[in-house]
Amino acid sequence: MPELLRQSSDLVLTAQGLRKSFRAPAGPLEVLRQIDLEVRSGEAISIRGSSGSGKTTLLQLLGGLDEPDAGEVRVLVPGRGLARPRHHLGQGVGFVFQNYQLMPELSALENVALAALIAGRPAATATRDAQELLASVGLGARLSHLPSKLSGGECQRVAIARALVNRPTIILADEPTGNLDEQTGVEVLNLLLGVVAQRGATLVLVTHSREFAERTPRRYTLSGGVLSPA
Amino acid sequence: MPWFLQLALRQLFPPGKRFPAFATVSILGVGLGVASLLVVQTVMNGFGEEHRLRIRESFGDCVVVGNTPLAQPDELLKVLRADGAVVAATPYAEGPALLRQGDFSGVAGVRGIDLADPRQAARHYVVAGNFADLDDGRVILGAGLARALRVQVGAKVELWSPAMAEQAEKGKAPLPAEFEVCAIIRTGFTEVDDRAALIPLRRFREIWQLGPRAHGLILHLKDPTQAPAVAARLGAARSELRFIPWQDIKKNFLEAIRFEKTMLFFLMFIITLVASFSIGSTLFSAVIRRSREIGVLVSLGSARWQLVSLFGLQGLLIGALGTALGFALTGGILHFREGILGNINRLFGDGDMVAQVYQFSKVPLHYDGTDFFVAAGFTLLTTAIAGLVPALWAAGRKPAEAMRDA
Repeated sequence: MPELLRQSSDLVLTAQGLRKSFRAPAGPLEVLRQIDLEVRSGEAISIRGSSGSGKTTLLQLLGGLDEPDAGEVRVLVPGRGLARPRHHLGQGVGFVFQNYQLMPELSALENVALAALIAGRPAATATRDAQELLASVGLGARLSHLPSKLSGGECQRVAIARALVNRPTIILADEPTGNLDEQTGVEVLNLLLGVVAQRGATLVLVTHSREFAERTPRRYTLSGGVLSPA
Repeated sequence: MPWFLQLALRQLFPPGKRFPAFATVSILGVGLGVASLLVVQTVMNGFGEEHRLRIRESFGDCVVVGNTPLAQPDELLKVLRADGAVVAATPYAEGPALLRQGDFSGVAGVRGIDLADPRQAARHYVVAGNFADLDDGRVILGAGLARALRVQVGAKVELWSPAMAEQAEKGKAPLPAEFEVCAIIRTGFTEVDDRAALIPLRRFREIWQLGPRAHGLILHLKDPTQAPAVAARLGAARSELRFIPWQDIKKNFLEAIRFEKTMLFFLMFIITLVASFSIGSTLFSAVIRRSREIGVLVSLGSARWQLVSLFGLQGLLIGALGTALGFALTGGILHFREGILGNINRLFGDGDMVAQVYQFSKVPLHYDGTDFFVAAGFTLLTTAIAGLVPALWAAGRKPAEAMRDA
């Protein structure tokens, strides 16, 4: 019983009975059928699947960016316990997107600080934290550069720093190496796994690459709308 | 500075771009709309003010008339001059007469004026001759009437009054009164310029056999804008007299100017509306282009109102900067208006239309703070709405949809 309680208190993400379908000309397209998942604090898991298998949709449901047709997602929100992520966006979950999704008009520093400012942190704190994080991902000398002046790998590093700046309990990374060449992809993944571990955060990595998926201790495959251990 | 305002400014004026196309074109569009609105309004105000001044100068601030000639005008003048609201009062008499010069004749509205009154407005409108030369043997003519009679300063004219016709009916053979033209006036009011003939009141009374009577009094008031109230107060105790404020003397004319100004405001405001629509449509495409960014902002925890502010503020900023530019353009255009108008006239060969049609030596201006306030208010409102519609649309999107559709 004490072990169960400990395990329950370690949960940072739970998904139960998730279903999601989209309207299509030929009728509803069921993307996710029955997804159950539990992730504990400090874990790093990967979800692998082919293109169109529903990986991004699953990640969006887990992060509260979309709502499931059925089922429920709970994420550990600091100060609130396990709560629906949809109602606490920006708190507890950090996203890393495939296309970096940086604000093109803002510098690397401003992009990272923006996340902290949206979370309500004072400007001075936001800037200081953003500087520290960018230095920790090797971009201390590129603070004032606009995304258009950064390489793909550097942009993804900025995106990782942005995802971490609000000290989330869990990072949801959607094909973070998808737009990068192999060498840079490896470097970015190493960095992501390193900083997530260093900060005690939890990682859910979505990828189509077997090699990258195998870098995490727990692995799943998503196929036919069903999630199964790899 | 809140992050959404900072981001709104960055999106409008991206770093590294000297002329951000969207912001530059939008601000210029709004600025031109505001400037055309205010230039037209300010010039129309100028025309209105100029006309109001001429009405007051030509007819006085308040005219006092009765159903019959005033029997004892001097008594009434004493009483009215003692009133606190009245600065000066002067009697006048008027009547139609036939003026003749050789084979040319014309019907004149002859007015007998008090030469002792230094406020006689006609002295401001003399275009030939000298007002001070007016005496019992001389007459001042309106420019149109002088043209009809083919006379200039120094020419002689004959005046036939109705009283002379009555004498002729009684079998007498009256002689016409003879006058020398000492001055010609042009007020800009056709009905005055085509008919006016000014002679001394003493001479008028003599020709019209009026005795000490006068046809009316002209009052000059301390505050001409209060003429209706003063007229009502003075007239309340004197039911046999009518006190007509200057605003009622040419009521239709003043109404027409006011109506013209209102119509021009709406016509010119359409320009600003068009500019606002173009802002709205450009912002819409910007919002669609930025769908992914909207999704990212939501994923970072941005509230709906913050997203609305981000895009709504861009519309408002364009409106504010466009209004400021419009004010500056208005000042510039109006400062150089004579040069601009001269070039337009030269280009289209119309001559000096303002001088010909309105008898104004310069394009008149009157800055009215209310016009600037209303123009700024309307512009900010329309540009804010133009920005708000796409902003609400953006904020209402589901983040996953926004990121999928981009």
